[in-house]
Amino acid sequence: MSGHRPCVQFSAGTLVLSNAPADWIQRVFGAAAPWKWDQRANLWRCNAIDYLDIREQLLQNEKQVENHVRHWSRVQWPAVSLPELRAEQRSAVNAWMTLRRGVIVMPTGTGKTEVALAMMGQSPVSTLIVAPVRDLMYQWHRRILLGLGYDAGIIGDSVYNVRPVSVTTYDSACIHMERLGNQFGMLVFDECHHLPGTMRREAALMSAAPWRVGLSATPERSDGRHADLEKLIGPTVYRLELAAVRGKTLAEYEVIRIPVHLGDAEQRRYDELSLQIRAYMQARREVDKYFTWEDLCADYASEPAARQIIKAYREKQSIEDRAAEKLRVLEDLFRLHVGSPIIVFAGSNAMARDVSRRFLIPCLLSHCGKRERLEILTGLQSGQYPALVANQVLDEGVDLPAVKIAVVIGGRASTKQAKQRLGRVLRKSGNARAFMYEVVCSETTEAGRSRQRRTSDAFVGTRFIRRV
Amino acid sequence: MLTRQQALAKLQGQQLFPDRLSRKEHKHYLVYAQRMLRLYEMGMGRTRRELHQGIDRIFAAESDCPVRRIAAFCKLMDDASQYDSDQSGAAAQLRQRVFGLAAQHHPLVTTADSLFESTELQVKATVAETLGRNWEEIDAELFADVMDFHRLKKFQAYPSPLALLSRYNVAQTQVALFDAEQITVHATKDLKTILRYAKLARLMHRIRRTAADQYELQFDGPASLLRHTRRYGVSMAKFLPALLACKGWKLHARLRTRRVGWMVYLALTANDGLVSHLPAPEDFDSTLEANFVERWNDEPRAGWTLERESEILHHGQKVFIPDFVFTHADGRRHLLEIVGFWTPEYL
Repeated sequence: MSGHRPCVQFSAGTLVLSNAPADWIQRVFGAAAPWKWDQRANLWRCNAIDYLDIREQLLQNEKQVENHVRHWSRVQWPAVSLPELRAEQRSAVNAWMTLRRGVIVMPTGTGKTEVALAMMGQSPVSTLIVAPVRDLMYQWHRRILLGLGYDAGIIGDSVYNVRPVSVTTYDSACIHMERLGNQFGMLVFDECHHLPGTMRREAALMSAAPWRVGLSATPERSDGRHADLEKLIGPTVYRLELAAVRGKTLAEYEVIRIPVHLGDAEQRRYDELSLQIRAYMQARREVDKYFTWEDLCADYASEPAARQIIKAYREKQSIEDRAAEKLRVLEDLFRLHVGSPIIVFAGSNAMARDVSRRFLIPCLLSHCGKRERLEILTGLQSGQYPALVANQVLDEGVDLPAVKIAVVIGGRASTKQAKQRLGRVLRKSGNARAFMYEVVCSETTEAGRSRQRRTSDAFVGTRFIRRV
Repeated sequence: MLTRQQALAKLQGQQLFPDRLSRKEHKHYLVYAQRMLRLYEMGMGRTRRELHQGIDRIFAAESDCPVRRIAAFCKLMDDASQYDSDQSGAAAQLRQRVFGLAAQHHPLVTTADSLFESTELQVKATVAETLGRNWEEIDAELFADVMDFHRLKKFQAYPSPLALLSRYNVAQTQVALFDAEQITVHATKDLKTILRYAKLARLMHRIRRTAADQYELQFDGPASLLRHTRRYGVSMAKFLPALLACKGWKLHARLRTRRVGWMVYLALTANDGLVSHLPAPEDFDSTLEANFVERWNDEPRAGWTLERESEILHHGQKVFIPDFVFTHADGRRHLLEIVGFWTPEYL
């Protein structure tokens, strides 16, 4: 802070202004000035994101004020080789370029990543890409290397390698942004419906980056906080509905539901556990008639009986999830579609490993390192592997080779998940139809979850197969 | 430290009480603690899952133990452990070999027929033969890099069963502070240590003198001025053990719960019996100061008493705490800082 001119700096995820009298602030920034007096440090402070609003005023008063906020710079893309954009992708890029701020809503499988890479290509500035999970973070790293020839830094997964263009996860961004908030001129939030969470939004608030992109297939949140995206990123500048691209960009697809039954031993154990749980709940309700399952699950259950009931409930779920019959159905499907690559989505890591160990096909789980992941994915693409099994890892946006057959065996009920899973298997290539099989236990709660899944418009035209 | 998934607390009105094991009510927990320590000491080479199941069994018959308390003990035991996480990638290599060999036989069927002749059993036997090992061995190592199957390599035991229980009590209070927006400490002693550790935890403070020998210290972070944020809660939790090692303080924390707009409070004093694993602050920074006090106490000083680090000179963020305060019965006070060697750096 040289001399006595007012001076703006980035500090711990905020902007600080020193040597500035109140009347000068009033004159320069007007009544809407974001600055607040911080008596702890004897200076003025505002959120780093407010830089978007005060940039203009700082520029106009360039001579009076020292501006040390900006630590980002132009970058040179070493080797650009981006694919020709489709019409709707071009519209998305153009819509964003006018403000260089805003949210792009496009269904999974319509090339959101290509859109973002095109924006980056046209806005060569230090950029941070924020992805929900480390798998996607590595995927972005790969795509930037392929599309722009740039070896991006990695911040997350126990790596802290900051480069002018870097990739990170929401959790890491939230932690590190207080140090990095002025290093990037552009932020890309992938699957940006994650951003409005109480902690995760800090990643946007603590950055001074003027250019911001949000990408999502499903920006809506059940807590209504997607409204905050406008403040954190910018307005929704482009929206493409799933129905509009069905059969065009995405392949035609058919959902086939195969109910399975528990085996005799499984069913006996299942009923036994159900009985145990029911008896316990009844006994509790005789004492406290408002006692609910939630009360029990609040994790405060203290006595052995209650702990036993929680265990019983988990075992019930696990019986459904890992029903042996599912493996037999899977064998039939593998026989039926031999020769075309298949992706199996399991409801839990344990089930994914069951499938992997039974059929000796690779499983893509969170313990897989960067290299193994790549080996499995290219292996499926090249035909070296006939199939792979995955869990939540692939729930969002992970690029998979175009397959025509997907099998869902168990999983949580959520239309967002369903849409994203579908988008993954239904990438258009040629004219072949795609099939998604849903293998669920009948007459257990899983059937209910499958019903809930089908309420999404992604499942219009579901077929059922009754097995004999 | 624990994670939110293991946090356990009771709410009475708007006061939050983190779970607390007491000497009186939970005396028998010392036996459990002893058994847990033994389980891990004898548990080299066993998987994380087996050890956690072992802890589960230790508490199986206990009628006063919430699920989260058991989970918290698992975490505290793991915190003192080192597991073999297969850094070399042996499991991943094994998988690549096995899946690669099996791929040409896909699909592995239950019973062979005219179309598909490779059965699961046959293929597994063939793969095992190619690798020169038996299948059970291969199967056991195939996912050795999965967290649950990591094997215990080293355990740095807690010094005693009681130390483990003390750590549990502190850990539950720490995890409660994750939700803190601001903590206020009323301090009478050890001010230098308190401020030093708060600074190490990267907290900011406001200081106010509330009585002759009492200061109010408010701790939060840079962005707390601008919005309600829990982002400094972890720093406050890290700061707690240092505070617990000090004397003569009261703490009041404001916590924001998940329910929007709902605040709860946590109160704690130096006399509440939480025991820090950190040593008490060094009585003196240097032997020079120790000698000074020794000499001072040699003879009566006509109405003057000597207090250590009990006065703060502050201006905004800048704080200076002299080594000693001389207080006279008539109210006069003098401050003394022992500079020691006269070097420009020190001044």
